[in-house]
Amino acid sequence: MEYFLNQLINGLCQGAIYALMAIGYSVVVGVVGMVTFTHGEVMIMGAFASYYVFQYCGTNLILGFIVAFLASWVMGIFVYKVCYERFFNSPRHISLLCTIGFSMLVKNLAQIFFGPNQIPMLNIVDIKFFHIGAMQISSLQIMIIALVVGLALALNYVFYHTKFGVMLRSVSQDKTAAYMVGINVKRIAMLGNCVGCGLGGIAGLLICIYYQVVQATMGGALGMKAFSASVLGGLTDVRFSALGGLCIGIVENLGITVTSASYRDVFAFGFLILVLVFKPTGFVKKRGTKV
Amino acid sequence: MNMLADTKKRAEMVFDKHKVLISLLLLAFLVLLPLISNKSYVMGVMCRILMYATLAGALNIINGYSGQTCLGVAGFFCFGAYTEAILATKVGLNFWLCIPLAGVITALVGLLVAWPTLKMSGIYLAIVTLGFSEIARLLALNATPLTGGALGIKNIPVPEFFGIVIKNSRSYYYLFLVLAIVFIFVSNRVIKSKIGRAWMSIREDELASKSLGVNASVYKAFNFMYGAFWIGVVGCVYAPYVRFIDSTYFTLDEGWNILSMVILGGQGTFIGPVIGSIIVNFLTEVLRPIGQWRLVAFALLIIIMMWYRPQGLAGATDSKLAGNKMVKKLQDRGKKHD
Repeated sequence: MEYFLNQLINGLCQGAIYALMAIGYSVVVGVVGMVTFTHGEVMIMGAFASYYVFQYCGTNLILGFIVAFLASWVMGIFVYKVCYERFFNSPRHISLLCTIGFSMLVKNLAQIFFGPNQIPMLNIVDIKFFHIGAMQISSLQIMIIALVVGLALALNYVFYHTKFGVMLRSVSQDKTAAYMVGINVKRIAMLGNCVGCGLGGIAGLLICIYYQVVQATMGGALGMKAFSASVLGGLTDVRFSALGGLCIGIVENLGITVTSASYRDVFAFGFLILVLVFKPTGFVKKRGTKV
Repeated sequence: MNMLADTKKRAEMVFDKHKVLISLLLLAFLVLLPLISNKSYVMGVMCRILMYATLAGALNIINGYSGQTCLGVAGFFCFGAYTEAILATKVGLNFWLCIPLAGVITALVGLLVAWPTLKMSGIYLAIVTLGFSEIARLLALNATPLTGGALGIKNIPVPEFFGIVIKNSRSYYYLFLVLAIVFIFVSNRVIKSKIGRAWMSIREDELASKSLGVNASVYKAFNFMYGAFWIGVVGCVYAPYVRFIDSTYFTLDEGWNILSMVILGGQGTFIGPVIGSIIVNFLTEVLRPIGQWRLVAFALLIIIMMWYRPQGLAGATDSKLAGNKMVKKLQDRGKKHD
């Protein structure tokens, strides 16, 4: 029972990171209107950037987050220019295949420049354990959950209380109508893509701190988790996709208490397929934007 | 550009005129090729080209002809190969019986994967197949009693054909050649039938084809099963060819490799995947010294292809696969008729 509860805490923490990935993913998909397969690679690039900052400029956590955000932001510009800008009026599969090509490119370049092996992440947060009854929670986990909740609230504020947020939402709802009321659709789509990618970069850094390794090939599996989580939330709904991320994290960690840790990904995707069978629209009531 | 189109048209005309002759000449060349160069290196490369041509062709049935996006080809390949390896080593089943069995099992797995996403837009299928590919690999790696786990399956028995033991790469060359010819012949018949036309109509406009009475879900499921069947069959022949399989043969990179053949060669035609297989395997051999940069080159080629010629080198130019220019042209043609 104790083990079970602790796994629940672990699941909650990992779920919080997945939630941040899924928020970024659904911002990208919602605003750009096209599905991306590069999200995992973008996240890992953010993590690598801050790894090198930690290496050379000391372990300043806040600096690390800012660098991860900016690095992934810049990656977002590249992704937008290569994979989306030309293809707004094309059949969907073209930009999809283009994102696959881009993710192959980034992944293999990262393997060449950073090496294919796992690199141990520096110890950034000194981990203390707190005991609440039978449960045990570390300072790192508290930090992660607090940061994710804070970022989610900040994004929520930007989305629903600022002019920029209104523009983002209008572009995600209807590009033609947004164009007609005088919004620079391409620019907003690019900025939205960059915001989503930047959040992904922070999530990538968080998961690398949590696992204490960073590896060039990690991106693929993380990107798929982000996708699964945002499918659970109806693919474009930011709030529900955060919930989806939490669910995936908890299901994964409870799943591996029953079997071995090597089946981690099997549980995540098995859960996704079950959801698609029984409730294909995810948690949202209405059908999301057709992507 | 105009001259290129002219040359292509002329080549097509010549091909149409002497279709049988050209096919026979090509066949004779391929059959006699081992007599010209019998080095096992050349034969090995030829085996790979033929095998990947069939794999890419089967993937092209799904991606090119019905417009669904399957990214999990490595997973189906894995299922086919492991089915043969397990049946041959644990049960002692004859190789020739394994072929249809592996195909059918892979097709059923394909149905299981595709079924939840049939009623939804294509992107769900893409991600589910991608996840499936990883699941298949993880199962192969972790279900140790059945698949041997990380040690893989060793000593897969060699097949026999009326007393001839198929074990060197020359005999496998003929085996893969026969497989490729059978695949292209059967698929050509299927594509030219009502089923194939239904698949293509779904690719061009699913809503319109539904309104004309095509049961899109059933045809999409059948399309996926048909493609998965052939991928499983190729996997089944691949297992005894390499004699030893483990999960590292079926990573996502393998899937991207096959996908890049389909994209580069061309989607929606039979010649496209063959050309793609030749190009990619040739580049693989030539670029071997630069190692990892090879995959970078493939990725760049995919992006360039998507930018300038989304249907691929020899892809179907008169379809949705060719991107927005073609869609616009088709719409304009529709307007003229009004």
